[in-house]
Amino acid sequence: MHIPDGILPLAVCGAGYATTATLTWYSLRQIQRRPDPHAMVPRAALLTAVFFVASWIHIPLPPISVHLILNGLLGVILGWYAMPAILVGLFFQAVMFQHGGITTLGVNATLMGLPALLAYGLFQLRFVLHLTGRFATGAVAFVAGALGLGLAVLLFYGVLVATIPANLDVATEQAALTLIALAHIPVVIIEGILTTLVVLFLLRVKPELLTDNAPVGATALLSEQG
Amino acid sequence: MPMRLVLLALWGALLLMPAGASYAHSVSVEHTLETVIALAATYDSGEPMAGAQVTVYAPNDPTTAWHTGTCDEMGRYRFAPDPALPGTWTIQVRQAGHGKTIYVEVGSSTTPATSAALVQVGSAAPYTLLQLIVMGGTVVWGCIGTALFLRGGAADAYS
Repeated sequence: MHIPDGILPLAVCGAGYATTATLTWYSLRQIQRRPDPHAMVPRAALLTAVFFVASWIHIPLPPISVHLILNGLLGVILGWYAMPAILVGLFFQAVMFQHGGITTLGVNATLMGLPALLAYGLFQLRFVLHLTGRFATGAVAFVAGALGLGLAVLLFYGVLVATIPANLDVATEQAALTLIALAHIPVVIIEGILTTLVVLFLLRVKPELLTDNAPVGATALLSEQG
Repeated sequence: MPMRLVLLALWGALLLMPAGASYAHSVSVEHTLETVIALAATYDSGEPMAGAQVTVYAPNDPTTAWHTGTCDEMGRYRFAPDPALPGTWTIQVRQAGHGKTIYVEVGSSTTPATSAALVQVGSAAPYTLLQLIVMGGTVVWGCIGTALFLRGGAADAYS
């Protein structure tokens, strides 16, 4: 689901870089405001490696094969750190393995980073909605993990359908895009389950990993709930 | 008498028949040697890009499609570039937002040739498996090294 070089018009690539720059700047600003901005960098580095490797895991769904993205998981675990982690991971995937592209790095980072941040926001909603029990946390994690990839697929589909060149058979290309979008439905569910499993595991062994990336207000709410 | 006239008329018609008509069942075969570019497009998983759309741009106009076509079930496509247009031909193979652009040099030489190009989408085709593992390992180790470096509080020394 990485858009390679030569597929999108230059203006769209430029807009992708602009949105990625804005999202990254805002994320770094939020990170800088934390009491210890360095504290979560090791975790972000490790999950960058996981994100980098995940795209090698292909799931054959004839007639095509798809691969894991894990942007929702990164959003849930890393919060604002997810955006720079995804950007770095995509950069290495494009430079070393031509998976994606340099001109489309901005677009790809927005397609995967923005849903990751929304997944983070959704996961933090559990504090507001008082869904902090084990079952409720797992359910919210599933929705957040699935939303991360689901939204990325919708953005991928929307960007590519809107920019099909006139010299191509538009109906054929649109049908192929619809097929690849539908083929991601099982992956959306798989990533939701994976996110749930990771969150439930962390909840058991080291629950602070799920709360130390929460906004200050949410943490206070959690401590009030005891 | 009438019979003799009929035979005479038939003989005359035979003589007056155009010469070309007497070769109606013959075959003319001409041949020219052409440069052909043969593509084989696959995804990085090895699956052929069946039905992928091919767009060809000639060297003299890299913005207007010179030729368009569709790959077969095995992801193969062949076309003959115009020998009057030597230079770099741009070929894009695309399907469902995935694709690759390759550049094939067609010389001005009159010697015909078949140029075979493997279009492998989304992959690092030139690398061996060992190279891929080493390259991937360096990135993963870079991330782990960063994590280990900052975990021990080393960041405080540099902040």
